[in-house]
Order: sequence, then structure tokens, then C-alpha cells
Amino acid sequence: MTGALRRSAGIVGMVAILLFFTVSLPDTFLTLRNWLNISQQISMLAVVAVTMTVVMAMGDFDLSVGSMASLSGVVAAAAFLQGWPIPAALGLSLVVGLMGGVFNGVMVALVGILPFVATLATLTVFSGLAFLVSDGRTVFGRDIPSAFSDFARSGLPLSSGEGPALVLPNLTLVALGVALVVWVVLEQTTYGRRLYALGGNTEAARLAGLPVQALRLSAYAFTGVGAAIAGLMYASRVASANPTQGDGLMLTAIASVFLGMTLTRDGSPRVFATLAGVLVLGVLDNGLTQMRVDSYVREVLVGAIILVAVGMSALGRGSALRRS
Amino acid sequence: MTELVLEGLSRTFGRVRAIDGVMVLDGTPLPLGSPTVMRDAGLRFIHQELHPVRGLSVAENMHLDRRYPQRLGLGLVDWRRLNRAASTALDRIGLSRISPRARMSDLGVGDQMLVRLAGTLIEDDGSALPWLYVMDEPTAALTGEESERLFSVIDGLTIRGAGVLYVSHRMPEVLRLAHRVSVLRDGWHVSTRQIGETSQDRIIREMTGRDLSALYPPRLTGRPGAPVLEIERLTAPGLTRVSLGLRAGEIMGVAGLAGAGRGALLQAIMGAVPRLGGIVRLDDEAVPARPAAAWARGLAYVPRERRSEGLLLRKSITDNVMLPHLAGFARAGVFVDAMRQTRTARALGEEVGLRATGPGQPCEALSGGNQQKVVFARALAGKPRVLILDEPTRGVDVAAKADIYHLLRRLSDEGVSILMASSDLPELLGLADRIIVLQGGRRTHLLENHDMTEADLLAHLYDAPQPAETMA
Amino acid sequence: MMATRSIFTSAVLVAGLSGAAAAQEVAVITPYLSQPGTQFYVDGFEARAEELGWDVNVVDTAGDVGAVISRIEDVVTRGVDAIVISVDPAQVGAGLQTAADAGIPVVGMDAGSDPLVAVNITSNGYAMAAETAVYVANRIGGEGNVVMFTFDPFPPVQVRGVVADAIFGNFPDIEVIDRITPDVSDGGIADSRAQMEAVLAANPEPGGIAAVWAAWDQPALGALQAIEAAGRAEEGIVITGIDANPQARDAIADGGNFEASVAQDFEGIGQTTADTVARILAGEELRQRVIYVPTELVTAANAAD
Repeated sequence: MTGALRRSAGIVGMVAILLFFTVSLPDTFLTLRNWLNISQQISMLAVVAVTMTVVMAMGDFDLSVGSMASLSGVVAAAAFLQGWPIPAALGLSLVVGLMGGVFNGVMVALVGILPFVATLATLTVFSGLAFLVSDGRTVFGRDIPSAFSDFARSGLPLSSGEGPALVLPNLTLVALGVALVVWVVLEQTTYGRRLYALGGNTEAARLAGLPVQALRLSAYAFTGVGAAIAGLMYASRVASANPTQGDGLMLTAIASVFLGMTLTRDGSPRVFATLAGVLVLGVLDNGLTQMRVDSYVREVLVGAIILVAVGMSALGRGSALRRS
Repeated sequence: MTELVLEGLSRTFGRVRAIDGVMVLDGTPLPLGSPTVMRDAGLRFIHQELHPVRGLSVAENMHLDRRYPQRLGLGLVDWRRLNRAASTALDRIGLSRISPRARMSDLGVGDQMLVRLAGTLIEDDGSALPWLYVMDEPTAALTGEESERLFSVIDGLTIRGAGVLYVSHRMPEVLRLAHRVSVLRDGWHVSTRQIGETSQDRIIREMTGRDLSALYPPRLTGRPGAPVLEIERLTAPGLTRVSLGLRAGEIMGVAGLAGAGRGALLQAIMGAVPRLGGIVRLDDEAVPARPAAAWARGLAYVPRERRSEGLLLRKSITDNVMLPHLAGFARAGVFVDAMRQTRTARALGEEVGLRATGPGQPCEALSGGNQQKVVFARALAGKPRVLILDEPTRGVDVAAKADIYHLLRRLSDEGVSILMASSDLPELLGLADRIIVLQGGRRTHLLENHDMTEADLLAHLYDAPQPAETMA
Repeated sequence: MMATRSIFTSAVLVAGLSGAAAAQEVAVITPYLSQPGTQFYVDGFEARAEELGWDVNVVDTAGDVGAVISRIEDVVTRGVDAIVISVDPAQVGAGLQTAADAGIPVVGMDAGSDPLVAVNITSNGYAMAAETAVYVANRIGGEGNVVMFTFDPFPPVQVRGVVADAIFGNFPDIEVIDRITPDVSDGGIADSRAQMEAVLAANPEPGGIAAVWAAWDQPALGALQAIEAAGRAEEGIVITGIDANPQARDAIADGGNFEASVAQDFEGIGQTTADTVARILAGEELRQRVIYVPTELVTAANAAD
């Protein structure tokens, strides 16, 4: 009952936001072009947040995703500088992401460091590595192959009408692909269900015969690779790489997952709910910019909305407990 | 004489807010729903869940719900007074063996409960001692020995003139302690009688609304069959070289005092704690020391702590039942088959007599008895050869207990072997074919359960180990 | 007449106010608003825009270059009349393309040149370097050993080094004895000082070093510290920097070895950007792709201004 209430409150809130922008920006907000823009703007955040959902499904965090995204971008750029072909450079970045993720997993699952502490430490490690690899510089211009930066500027053509053509951006397609894969893994495989069981009660899961360590370790590989993919998307979008450019993704990604959790029945993180959370943040940025709300006011508003949403959900859960 | 009158209360005692009704103390109505008011009125509550703060000292745990003694009024803790107050209160219930400076985590569950109880006896700056104790299933976590210690404390309290409102599922305790018995069913008041005017049968009848003369159903088939599970010289933390053989369709009880190694034996068999030596064989094949391997081989485990070790409380009944069996119920061993899971969970729920709105209901919304049935349904989902049960009816109401006993009997009739550790002696005597007795982590007896009385069994729990049998 | 129109500032929260339609709408987008230089540009721009009666929306993405692209897309969707960016255009090409497709002009405010940027307003790096290099050459009478601090990885600073090389090369009696690229990860002062100490040690005789020319202020300050610490402040080694940051101004005002730097006119860049946007909005075709705003040589005479 309360789950349904909380969820509908969340959905009402989201619809209210959409309605507000539709009314305030009648000519521009509810257009296909604008939504294609939004989809592209949130694509990197979506990839990080969706893979963060994997780790949060078992009740953990990965704070290192932002600096891993930065690291992945500069690793690819460094490979470009060495004259590597694009696929090899991208592959190298993804391998770095995978290794970083597995390293986090080893620290948390095998060594037994709290996720908050372990990934806070690797956040610093990855960030330092990004500065080492890049020498603290921004790699841009001719050093970035145009085929790489063109990827983020093109997509599937949707219309051949007048004016600038409508395209479904490649970055959006990548984000959808990652989301689909993670959705299948979390919702449709026994592996995913076991991660949720870990999130429910680790000790019960262990006594019920689940391979807790292997599950925990492997889940961090998702955030590592996801962060690496997002870092590459970002580098392609800005046609450059610097050692801090992905750092902002971490907090927003965690915020998105939390927003999404307010929409699910038992308050657990789920892929589509996370995407809804990402979308809310993206729509706020897009709509408030179009309404010319000051950028600092915008940040305050976004934080306040997260507090309200998560706070309502916490209050809803509290009353559920008191009644039981 | 002080008297407390409860009138039409739906919920009581501050932890859960009262919805309606009045509570009258010596003719004065008490405001409902505030723990502080209850405390000031001289009421004390001992809840079933202990929630000890394991990192703090005994004395600090006893002061959790009150101000620490202060030094110079500067907010500095006066440690000497704190410990002295704690030690006085501990002495009062004969617990002088526990140091107020000891860390709570170093105490057993039973002692933690007694410390909590002693905490209510601390005198606040000359204010009167409490005169009414409300205890909710206080022995749920205690062994027989620890319970006895609690009972003598309770006797002491009543002799001193305090009243005790003792809430329990355990008939023998109620009959032993109570002067009057009130029976509630489904939130309604059924009866209040002097102890002399009622009996166990009558109470059970009033509680359940049905006759439960056959609480322990008799065995239908003949003697247990061939050996299935063989345990040789199993050694683990708290367990030394224990051997036993479990036959097909046999129910074997595991008895012992607290710390005798009952839980350790079961956990070592499941591989939930590291094995230091010995071997576990199922059908002549060794079972590796990992819970995953044990489940895969057909051992199913019902842990002692339902809430912390058993259930994913926020998850659905289906999720909980399917937990160890996900791969077995998946397409291609990987992709979840939600329909099949729901179907199976529903069928198993019916098999164990689960009362719920549906397989999607979250477990936190179920009663203790129904939660335990979910854990049982999980154990049965994989068609187990052997059930390993740790306190299978702990904190379970009488009706659900009867359901569980019938289920166990039926399973054993079908050939499932059951190893059941319990501190509830009547339950062991009522169901088990044989009872293994542990003392200090060693096996001291293996008893055939023929016409044994509770006193016989109790005597075996306490007597000195017999060297010949320890080495068996 | 324009100045008599109703005035809108960046504080306007809600769009669609009556009368707003008449005002030109310009969005200023930068990831670096919290940096002092950018703040001065934007202040200058807003002051001029207010006189022009524009409706200005300043968007700061707090260091996130990717978000600059997103915000360009958003204001294009909104349909602003012009966009001003203060970020390297090569990094936000995707956004510039969106603006170009929608026919909205983009003007760079010290941003860098790009085919998709109509015009970039900045200071002339070549001229600034020439001014300090010539100052050095004249102060040492066209002869002596010069130490250069340069940073070729960053293009705007690299051009300064090239110009200085050319000027020193034109004096036959000036020898560049060292061309140092300091480690800038901690700001550049500390490493420059260490490097300078090494150079001083290698050239112990008084007068062995006539001047230090630095492509920006931090190495100049580091060199100054090294010279003073080595007790060689009285040798008359001439030091120059570029940018005239507050610390450099203080050092110059003290009248020591650090003698000159060049100040960019940040507010002037902002004002000129607004004026240039106005020309574009008026339909003028601009021939230049870069407009330079004059700079000022800072010496002890005017350092305190």
C-alpha cells in the first residue's frame, strides 16, 4: 500500500515537472528535437547511473566512477597520441575500466574494506593516474582523431525534411544499449536476482548458499566498465580529454539512483527507475536553462528536489514500519 | 496498592503508538504513546529484540535510556558512579559475576538479556524503583539454563512487590511463572483466569480456537531407513570431534545448554563456519564446506535467527523462497523464469500452511510464524534430502508451531532426514527419534527417545561427559 | 535610443514576460565563471549589454565542458539571438554545430578561433610577448645572457615564446642560455624557483645572467624568489612576466628585479565582445575573425593602479 503511495507520489512529481515545463515553454519543450537533445545530454550520466545501479542493488556504492571516467578518457587520448588506431585505444580504455572495477571488487569483497572507504581511496588513485597519464594537460585538437569526435556528433537520421536534420544521436544509442544490457542482467538473470538478495540481507544470502564474494567482486566490474564507457562518450562529445572532466558524474549518478529508488515498490534500485531519475535531472537542466534560471539557482533547485523526493520516500517507509 | 487498568487498547506501551483506548494508573489516565511517560510512571519494558550496543560496556548499555551520571555538571561522564550504579543493579539480581566494565559483545545473548533487565533496576536519584515490568518473549533468545536464571530474577522481583506482565508463546513458562493468565487472539481479549482455574490445554484451546491435543503428531511409517548423512569427527570453532549418522526419514534432535555447540554443529555441517577437521558425507560422498555446495547436494538449512540470518525482509515471499534455488528454476540456468518461480512459491506456501496475501507480499509484513514458514518453504523448494534446522519454532505462535510439527512429521514419513537443534525440550521429546546431547562442543550422549521425560533429558544435559561416548 | 528601453538582467527568472520579445536575447556560456579572468569578462559584457538593453543569461557549468555543449543546445532550442562562449571552441564543436544549423551566431570571448565561431575577442598574445621581450632587450642594452621560461604544450602561451625567440634572435649580442619548461602542476612558482636556482648555480659569476623572460607571471615570481634567496638581487638581473596578476603587480611595485609585465584588459574584452555582438545583430558582415583588445605594459610606474 505505502509502496504504491510512495511510487505514485514520485510519478505525480515527475509529471508535475514535465507539465510545468510544457506550460512555461510551450514552443520548445515538448518537441522531438528538444527530447533528442536531452537524450544526448544525459547519455553519459545514464551509463554511469545504470551501472551504479548494479552495485547499489547489493547495497554498496562506487565513489570512484567519476575519476574512472576521467581516467578512461585520458587513457584513450594518450593512446591516440601514441598513434594507436581508434578501436585499440577504446579497447585499452575499457580494459582499464574493467581492471579498475575488479580492483575495487577485490578490495571490497576479498580484503573486506567498506565500499565507501575502498572506493573513496580508488577515487583518489584513479584521479592521480589520470593526471599522471595526461601530465595534467588537456589533450585536444589534432591529437584527437576526427572519426572519434565525429561519433558524438552524428547518429541515425530520423527525417529528411527541411532545416537541420533530426538524428537519433549515437550517444543516446550507446546509453540505451548499456541500459538494456544492465536491465537484462539485473532483472532477467539469476545473477542479478542474487545481487538483489545480497542487498536484502547479506548474511541470509550467504547461509542460503550464495557465492557472496564472487558476486560482490564481479558487480564492481560493471561500474568500472560503465564509467570507462561514459568517459569515452564524454571525450568524444568534447573532442578532448582532461584528467578531471568526468569527476562530476559520480555524485549525480548516485543521486539519480536514489531518485529512482523512490519510484520502486520496495525502495530498491532498479534500472528503469534509475533512468527515470537521470531523466528528471536532465529535464531540469534543460528546462531551467531554457527558462533562463540562474545556473546556481538551478543547482540549489536540483538538490532540493532530490531531498524532497528521497525525504518523502523515507517518511513513507517510516510510516509503513510504524504500522506493521 | 498500585493498579494499572487497560481499557480497549489497540496498541500499547509506547513503542507502537496506541490508536485508541485508555490506560488508567491508580485512577489517573496515562497519556498514551510516550515511552518517557511510561518510564516515569514506573513501568519498564523488556523487548524481545535486544538491540544491545555491542561496542559499549555493560554499564553503558544499562544506562542507554537515561542520563549518564555527570561530573561537576559539565556534561563529563562520571565513570566511577556509572559503574557503581550498574554494579549495584547487577548485584540486585544476582549477577555480580558480570563486570560493569565488560564489553557487551563479550557476553552471551542470555547474559545480554539479563543485563538489560538489570538496567531497569538502576535507581534514579532516589526515585522509586519500577513496579511493573512488561516482558515480551524474554526467553526467545535464551537457553534453558539462562531462562532459569531469568525466572529466579522474576521471582525475586515479585517477592519484592513488583508486578510482571509476561508475554510468551511458551506454555511451560507461563504455567511456571504466572498468577493470572490473559489470552489474546487476533488482537482481541479472550479470557483472564487465575492460574489454578486453567491448564495448558485450555490456554491453547483459547489461543487457537481449536483443540490441539495432538501438538506432536505420531510417526505413521515404520522405523527410519538406511544411513543418509554421516558426520565423522567434525571439528569447528566451538565444536570438537562430533560424529553422528542420520538415517533416511529420521528426526534427530540436538540438545545442549547454551554454548554446548548446537548451532556450531549445524553451521559446520552446512559449511557456514570453517571446518577445522572431520568430514561430512551425504550418500557416501563428501560435502564441501561451503553453504552453496551443501544446498546443491540436497542439504537445506533453517538458521536460528530468522530476521538476520534467514530472510530478506523487504523482499517478496517468492524472492525469499527462491533464494538458494535461482539457478535451478531459470531458463538456460541464467534467465529468470518469473512465472515458474511464482507458481513454485505459491505451491510451497500452501504446503507449509503459509497465510499471506500472495507470493508477492513482502516478508516484513508477515507474522513471526508465517515468516518462519517462508524459511521452511525455501528449505523445501529444492526437494532436500536432509533438513538442518536450528530452533525451528523460535518466536513462533502455537498454531504455527503445530503446523510446523505436522510438516516435519510428514516430511520424515516421506523419507526426508531431519537434524533439529532446539532449546525447547518438549519439542525434542515430542518429535525426535533420537537425541544427540552436546556439552562444551563435544558429544556426550546419543539417546533413543523412548518414554523419556523432560527431567530425564535435562539430567543428560547437565551430567558429566562419559569418556567412552565422547570418542564415539 | 536603445539605452532607454527597459532593462533586463541575468536575474530574470521566468521567460515570456511582456516586452521581453522586443529585447535581444544573448546567452553567455562558460565553465570557468569562478575564475577571476572570466568574471571580469562577464562583468564587462553585462555592463555593456545593460546599456544596449539586452536580455542576458549567464550560464556557468562549473568546470564541466560537456555541459557547455548541452547548455548551448538548450539555448538554441530556446531560440536566443546570439551566444557568447568563453571556452575552447574545439571542445564544444558539437554545440557550435547545433547553433550554426539553427543560424544563431556564436562569438568567442577569449575563446580561441574556430570556423564555427563568428569572431573571437581576445588580447594579442604576440603583441604582449613582443612588448616584454623588447623591454628586456632594451633594458640590458641589447647584450647579455637571457633565461626564458616558456610552456609550449599550451598554444596561447606557446605563441608568446615564439615571438620572444624571434626578438632575442634579432639582437646578435643576446644569448638565450636556457629555455625552461617548468612543471605547472602546483601553479608553476615552486618548480620555476627550483629550476632557476640550478641556473644560478651554473652561472655563479655576477653579471652572468642579464635577464629572465617568462611567458607568464608565475615563473617570473619563482625566478625572483630564487635570485633573492641566492643573494644576487643586487646584480640587476631584469625579470619580466605576462598577465600582471596581483602577486606580480605587488612584486613590480616593490621596485625589485621583477620589472615589467603586461596586463590584459579583461573588462575591455567583455565590452568589446558585447559591441561586436551588437554589430553582428545589426547585420554587419565582419571581415576579421579575431578582434584584439589593447593591452597595457605594467611597470613600477603604474603597477599600483
